Amino acid sequence: MKGLPTGSRLLRPALVLALAAWTLLPLFVLVVVSFSGGWRFPSLLGADPGLNAWSTLREGSGRLLPALYTSLGLGVGTGALAALTGLPLGRALSDLRGGWRLLGAACAFLPVAAPPLALAVGLQFTFLRAGLGGSVLGVTLAHLIPALGYTSLFFLGVFSVFDRGIETEARRLGARSWQILARITMPLLRRPLAEAFVLGFLVSWAQVPLTLLVGQGRVRPLTVEVLSWVEAGQDPLAAAGAALLVLPPLLLMGAAAFAFRRAEVVAP
Amino acid sequence: MTSRRGRLGIAAAAILTAPVVVGVGYAVAGALGLVGPGASGRPSLDRTFLVLSESAVIEGTLWILWVAAASTLLAGVASMGIAVALRGTGRLDGLGRALAVLPLPVPHLVAAVAGLLVLGQSGFFARLAFQAGLIDGPSGMPALVYDPLGIGLIVALVWKEIPFLSLVAFSVLGTRGDALERTARGLGASGRDVLFRVTLPILWRGMLPAAVAVFTFVAGSYEAAVILAPSDPLPLPLLTWERFVDAGLDRRGDAYVLALLGLWIAALAVVAHEVVRAKLPSLEGAHQ
Repeated sequence: MKGLPTGSRLLRPALVLALAAWTLLPLFVLVVVSFSGGWRFPSLLGADPGLNAWSTLREGSGRLLPALYTSLGLGVGTGALAALTGLPLGRALSDLRGGWRLLGAACAFLPVAAPPLALAVGLQFTFLRAGLGGSVLGVTLAHLIPALGYTSLFFLGVFSVFDRGIETEARRLGARSWQILARITMPLLRRPLAEAFVLGFLVSWAQVPLTLLVGQGRVRPLTVEVLSWVEAGQDPLAAAGAALLVLPPLLLMGAAAFAFRRAEVVAP
Repeated sequence: MTSRRGRLGIAAAAILTAPVVVGVGYAVAGALGLVGPGASGRPSLDRTFLVLSESAVIEGTLWILWVAAASTLLAGVASMGIAVALRGTGRLDGLGRALAVLPLPVPHLVAAVAGLLVLGQSGFFARLAFQAGLIDGPSGMPALVYDPLGIGLIVALVWKEIPFLSLVAFSVLGTRGDALERTARGLGASGRDVLFRVTLPILWRGMLPAAVAVFTFVAGSYEAAVILAPSDPLPLPLLTWERFVDAGLDRRGDAYVLALLGLWIAALAVVAHEVVRAKLPSLEGAHQ
């Protein structure tokens, strides 16, 4: 870095400290409020600090635990479907050439760029007519729309650099299509598949407007419950729900980073 | 494009586009008064003109554009500063970079809830100010949430968007910055000149697509605005929601017009980005 613009010796520690405060303070406050029995002004820790909102998780009472399960179910379902469907779609897009390829990528970008609320307003009628309104399946399929855009674009990138020579070689040696898929392609794409699953999971995990409009208040993941707790002024529950919304994505990304640091690179 | 692979590619593109086409198509039909609540059954642009000329719609649209522009600009500038200052290979730089991207997987809704608890008039900062004797009570704290300028919402969005833009900035510097900067230094440019005439231009050009993505996302985002935005003016996404669930069936149709307005804003931002990018001289080969 010698001679290139960078932070001075004094600036960098100060910047890292400021970054630590900027990044961690809001998360710290969430945790503090979630453990308070009631966060009344002017107490910093709130009344009766303790397990409070979190105890409903252990006891299985209240709406926090069901909401967590619903969020996890939607996230896992959307992540799995988005990864498994995004793979063939991304591969098919990568087979396009020239202007067609640009058009294909633009098509995959559409569901990513469209504001979910605008999409939900237009799609709600279709979901209701199909009998999918207010159901977990309906909300999963609604979440799949933007998630599939992300994973298709992701696999378009993966297959742009994927060496298909090994598949051709296996075919020459007499392997059938399903054998190539099960024994060569899928094992080689384990890491991108896991990353695509995380991508789909995260899209679903944070989704609000599509959940509200297609779920119609009957499907209530953490995001929907947190919104209703904020509106009701139930700060400790809202903070606990919000803290729960932070944990799985952080753990997933940390686990993925840890696993992939140890894994060999299988796709160039 | 008649090969089997080509046909499969086009089919894949069609599958991905279909839900958006259905959604937009229904919204267009709704805006024209052909379908949906309060539809007359005859195609007409009357509702579209009426809704778009409402002062609440104009103010709500300008307000969310202001918030999107301010938060994107602030997050972009902060990310460029972080990327330049912490580009080294030392532990401190690595720690700083990790801290900068930590909130990446945090949902926008959580950023908004945290913003409310930290910046609200009875929030964490207000309590600290009270303990320090700076204010007498919540009313002494300046309104940073539900405020007309959207300061609380902007701060929460900057907190949420810095990780993404920083990640892009780190990547741009890692792949593009070095060669041009070293050439400039070799030709006698000062550190300040390299920073302002090479490093930062490389950064903002590389970050432009990501910044456009952030801008369009924020402009159409519902979940952060519903927690931190004021009710007057009501931001476009909240206005869309309000009309869509309005008790009066006549007003519900307005939501289709507003949803299309949101889509137009996203599309215009992408087109504007393409125009700007096309006009910029290429940096490729400039250092050769």
